[in-house]
Amino acid sequence: MTKAMILKEPGKFAWEDIEVGDPGRGQARLRHTAVGLNFLDTHFADGSYPAPGYPCILGFEAAGVVEAIGDGVSGLKAGDRVGYCPIMGSFAQARLIDADLLIPLPESVSDEQAAAQILKGMTAQYLLRQSYRVQSGDTILIHAAAGGVGALVCQWAKHLGATVIGTVSSEAKAEFAKARGCDHTINYSAEDFAEKVNELTDGAGVDAVYESIGKDTFLKSYSILKPLGTLVMYGHASGPVPPEEFSKIPMDRYYIRTTLQAYTDTREDRLAVAKDLFDTVAAGGVKLEVGSTRPLSEADKAIEDLESRKTTGATVLIP
Amino acid sequence: MSQAVLLHEPGPPENFSYEDITVADPGPGEAQMRQAFSGINFIDTHFRSGLYSPGDLPAVLGREGAGVITKLGEGVTDLSVGQRAAYGSVMGSYAEIRNIDASRLVPVPDEIADDVAAAMMLKGLTAQFLVRQVRKIGKGDTILIQAVAGGVGLILCQWAKHLGATVIGTVSSAEKAAIAKTKGCDHVILYEDVDFVEAVLDLTGGRGADAVYDAVGVKTFEGSMAATAEFGTVAHYGAPSGPIPPEVFGKLPRDRFLIRPTLPGFSAKRENLLAMADDLFAVVKSGGVSIEINQRFALKDVALAHVALESRRTTGSTVLEI
Repeated sequence: MTKAMILKEPGKFAWEDIEVGDPGRGQARLRHTAVGLNFLDTHFADGSYPAPGYPCILGFEAAGVVEAIGDGVSGLKAGDRVGYCPIMGSFAQARLIDADLLIPLPESVSDEQAAAQILKGMTAQYLLRQSYRVQSGDTILIHAAAGGVGALVCQWAKHLGATVIGTVSSEAKAEFAKARGCDHTINYSAEDFAEKVNELTDGAGVDAVYESIGKDTFLKSYSILKPLGTLVMYGHASGPVPPEEFSKIPMDRYYIRTTLQAYTDTREDRLAVAKDLFDTVAAGGVKLEVGSTRPLSEADKAIEDLESRKTTGATVLIP
Repeated sequence: MSQAVLLHEPGPPENFSYEDITVADPGPGEAQMRQAFSGINFIDTHFRSGLYSPGDLPAVLGREGAGVITKLGEGVTDLSVGQRAAYGSVMGSYAEIRNIDASRLVPVPDEIADDVAAAMMLKGLTAQFLVRQVRKIGKGDTILIQAVAGGVGLILCQWAKHLGATVIGTVSSAEKAAIAKTKGCDHVILYEDVDFVEAVLDLTGGRGADAVYDAVGVKTFEGSMAATAEFGTVAHYGAPSGPIPPEVFGKLPRDRFLIRPTLPGFSAKRENLLAMADDLFAVVKSGGVSIEINQRFALKDVALAHVALESRRTTGSTVLEI
């Protein structure tokens, strides 16, 4: 039998048998080998983001092996190792999925690494290589530099030859970010990050700010951008930016609010983003780290631990 | 003594007064010019009316000009007396003789006449950063220019065509549509009759335009953002129809670049200013862009020029002969 962690209603999980069935046209049946856990899961688990319906299966990224393919699927066969993100329904031992969404995994990337990092890695790819293309000699600011995406951005930007300034909330996180290539860390709970960036850059500012905090930092992030610099907004952990703040943004700076979705909406784009990530991993530019593993049957407890910030690094759930 | 047009009090065009003034010797870092032509731009009417502050009164308005360098202040090493020069975006061009920050002056090549230089410095350099820097326009791009029959619009249109782009332009009248067409605008939309967002989406197979240039403002900007393609760029570089309410910027769809570019921002470094001017002179010399001077006024008649601009009857560029 195949089991899955079912969300019956917000706050109520059950580890139960499911029927997966045969893949339909354009689909593949995937046997999961490693499943990723994200903050997104906590928002759905407690109902702060409504699911399309209940019961449902959470989880947004995973790796596995193709067991069977439906009609009309090309370029994929039973036995292939693949990963995917961000598609709901990975807290299960097996699933059906549009074959189009699957990304073949190279030998250099393990199933656990893919499940832990493919979403964050593809996010780092579009941030550094597409939303603003980081060049050698650039200086960039990444907020939450010790976070999942932040840690990858530090490594990758460094690999591209940039000077990386990162904001963090504690000394321990500063050490963590520094170990991943962050040149300068700023503890934003202890110092004014804009003042500190001005000091570090002799008032020149930075070429790009990767903004995921939102209303608490938005205008300050703008204030440290060089003329013609780019502010890339890819999240707003502190809440969305109030519209009236847009009238205060300085002239001659680029702004884009964006998501992975837009960079991966065709198969060609998805594969290109993944290829750049895997090539960079193979070149030693980025390490895909797995923090800890635990059984998928404990996904509900893993979500609780993530919510209470007891975990460090990425948790991978083993089916 | 020399002549200049002074504004003693912001207000209607009658407030201009044509007077004799005395111009001191240029200070350190300055040059003195005898101007042959001053450009005149719609934005000048905002400084005259008081919508924008004209600075200390009496003020000399006008933001572009061309002429010959007659004196150099201390420390100016890369210009010489007798050299032809021009500038854009520096206030004070409605005058026969003026002093100016020498770092803002660009030597004018022989092939470019004074009137053409005066007519295009502000608009041409603006077009330069819009099609060559804000986004590098090339073959395969489709762009939308709001008010394409305006001064910047016609230069943008020609330059983008020269670079191989498909140009969609909006205009307010059939007469302006005809002018835009003669400058290579592929699709002209009468924005008062037609929903331009729908029209742009239709023309681009639902994608939207790769770059949208909007200096109209509150009337068009929300539509401009909606007509921009995914990963396209919307450049807001002026707002004669009134400033855009802040909440409108908040409606920018995801995955589009927004910038409010300015000429001072893009040309702050002298090396950038000179490179931009070289690029502009080259495209004009090649015939890729022609500067249409469709209205000429004497310096003393600047009030008539403002009336003409405010009545929206002008097309292309307007110059003051000095």
